[in-house]
Amino acid sequence: MRVEYINPFVESAFNVMKEVLQADVRRGELFLKSTSMPVMGVAAIVGLAGDVEGRVLFDMDKPTALRIASAMNGEELKALDELVKATITELANMITAQAVTKLHELGFRFDLTPPAIFTGDNMEVSNQDVEALIVPMETPQGKVEINVAIRERA
Amino acid sequence: MNAQAAAQAAVAHDEKKERADKIDFKMVTFSLGGKEYGIDIMNVKEIARAGRFTYVPNAAPFVRGVYNLRGDIISIIDLRIMFHLPAERKDENALESLLILRVEDHVFGVIVDYIDKVVGVSSAAIQPPHPIFGDINVKYIKGIIENQGKLYIILNVEKLFAPKKEEPRDEPRAAAAAGLRAAPGAPSPRDEARAAAQEAAGIKGDLNAGFVAETLATFKKFSVSTVNDAWFRARYAEWRAKRGVEDVQLHAEADADQFLSPFYSPGTGALWSEDYAAAVAAALPPMPAKSLNVWNPGCGKGYESYSVACILKAAYPEARVKVWANDSDLLSISMAPNMVFDIDDVPERYREFMVKGRNGWSFTQALRDSIFFEFHDVLNANPIPPADFIVCRDTVSFMAPQDQKRVLADFSDKAKEGAALLMGAHETMPLDGWVPIGPAGLSLYAKGSR
Repeated sequence: MRVEYINPFVESAFNVMKEVLQADVRRGELFLKSTSMPVMGVAAIVGLAGDVEGRVLFDMDKPTALRIASAMNGEELKALDELVKATITELANMITAQAVTKLHELGFRFDLTPPAIFTGDNMEVSNQDVEALIVPMETPQGKVEINVAIRERA
Repeated sequence: MNAQAAAQAAVAHDEKKERADKIDFKMVTFSLGGKEYGIDIMNVKEIARAGRFTYVPNAAPFVRGVYNLRGDIISIIDLRIMFHLPAERKDENALESLLILRVEDHVFGVIVDYIDKVVGVSSAAIQPPHPIFGDINVKYIKGIIENQGKLYIILNVEKLFAPKKEEPRDEPRAAAAAGLRAAPGAPSPRDEARAAAQEAAGIKGDLNAGFVAETLATFKKFSVSTVNDAWFRARYAEWRAKRGVEDVQLHAEADADQFLSPFYSPGTGALWSEDYAAAVAAALPPMPAKSLNVWNPGCGKGYESYSVACILKAAYPEARVKVWANDSDLLSISMAPNMVFDIDDVPERYREFMVKGRNGWSFTQALRDSIFFEFHDVLNANPIPPADFIVCRDTVSFMAPQDQKRVLADFSDKAKEGAALLMGAHETMPLDGWVPIGPAGLSLYAKGSR
């Protein structure tokens, strides 16, 4: 993944999460991964197209999703209902959109697909041939992993 | 029948008799799923009948549990389940036939259907197992013997029950096809790695060199292999001459750094010097294509990517040059796209591609656009278009031997026919299909047959 893409994603993830959660968010060590990876339980995915092809995946477990949605909505949410899903989708959208805006300012053209959300147990994502950059974010609500896989169109 | 034939027959009969008489192998015979088996009596401590084994959670299915044999706790293995043979389920309190075996220092019991007797045979009459034996994996069978009209399959208890040893990895070994094999008798993986490193370096017998190779791997992840063994051997000899045999070992990372200091190619961590760049430019094969793809794995801080881009732009101003530069060190590569130089440090040949900015001199936008710096690990999939030129200096040597093979194979895979490959000054391309084209001191290859 191009070096130029890394910072916008890391920064916007950090900024957006800090803002919507109104809490202390910490970023873990970035690393690369290429094999299939387990999904913790709730995954929001945003596709990217344009100069590049790829996707951004926001991965967290169910309790974390509930707590984040509760914090964002300002009320206690107990079940993984439509509201929670919509909230997580919105979070994914905000982060990706802000990153793409930053990239646009740097001269990279990206288009987004509407986010989709997956929930379930024992899920796994496999991307053949694409390695993903993992940006782990530690929030008081739990751990969120942002999994960015972008490649240039050859 | 004439007398001669009769005499021959008599001799043959005698021989047979003699062979059968010479009993030097005794085995305990038993049945499993209706077939007869034997185990060397030297491995059998005793036989017993017992039941009500204590179940062990999470154990392999063929482990029936543990049993208290006069104060010793032994594990009980059901051979029928181990070999996927039908096993009748007896009720809770029924007694099973047990052979108590001793293998090395371990004692344990195996459950069989029925224990028969002790049979003495001649070891010369044991036939090797046939590969299509079926029920039981051939590697666990020592042989077959016929005794009084019955065929017994002799199990190899050592193989069956010996503590699991790591399968010897054949990757490093392959590096030295002609090398001596590690000593027989279950060498530990560590010994094997060392032996492989020594073999690769062609320094069998000199244990110190093997240690040095191993320390390099530990401190600097530098693997001695066919890529660099010529350099390693020469460097080791030089090192030993300088430090003396007493002090030849690398005690700390600083020593390893010092040992490796002459390894790095010219122009590491800086733009390539005028001489080196000119030498590379002169030795490169003609590249007539309109668009030139360069792959630069392990580009580090990016100096060599810029150097290569400038060389190609200067040589082929019309061509569209694209450099795919990647490194798995995020810190190094994140600075690469926006590098700023002091013009006095920049050799003349690069200046035409530079502009003065607010903070100092940097490469022009056009040149920077031709390089994709990627945070990427070459050991993952490499989505690189077919390359005209691969520049990978002093990178392969710092991978584990099996990774080196994979990456080198990927080079062959990704390079166009006739493409060039530049490796580190002290590295060589061990794979077939690459012809050296560089002058001495330049590890430059072209893809193609001789």
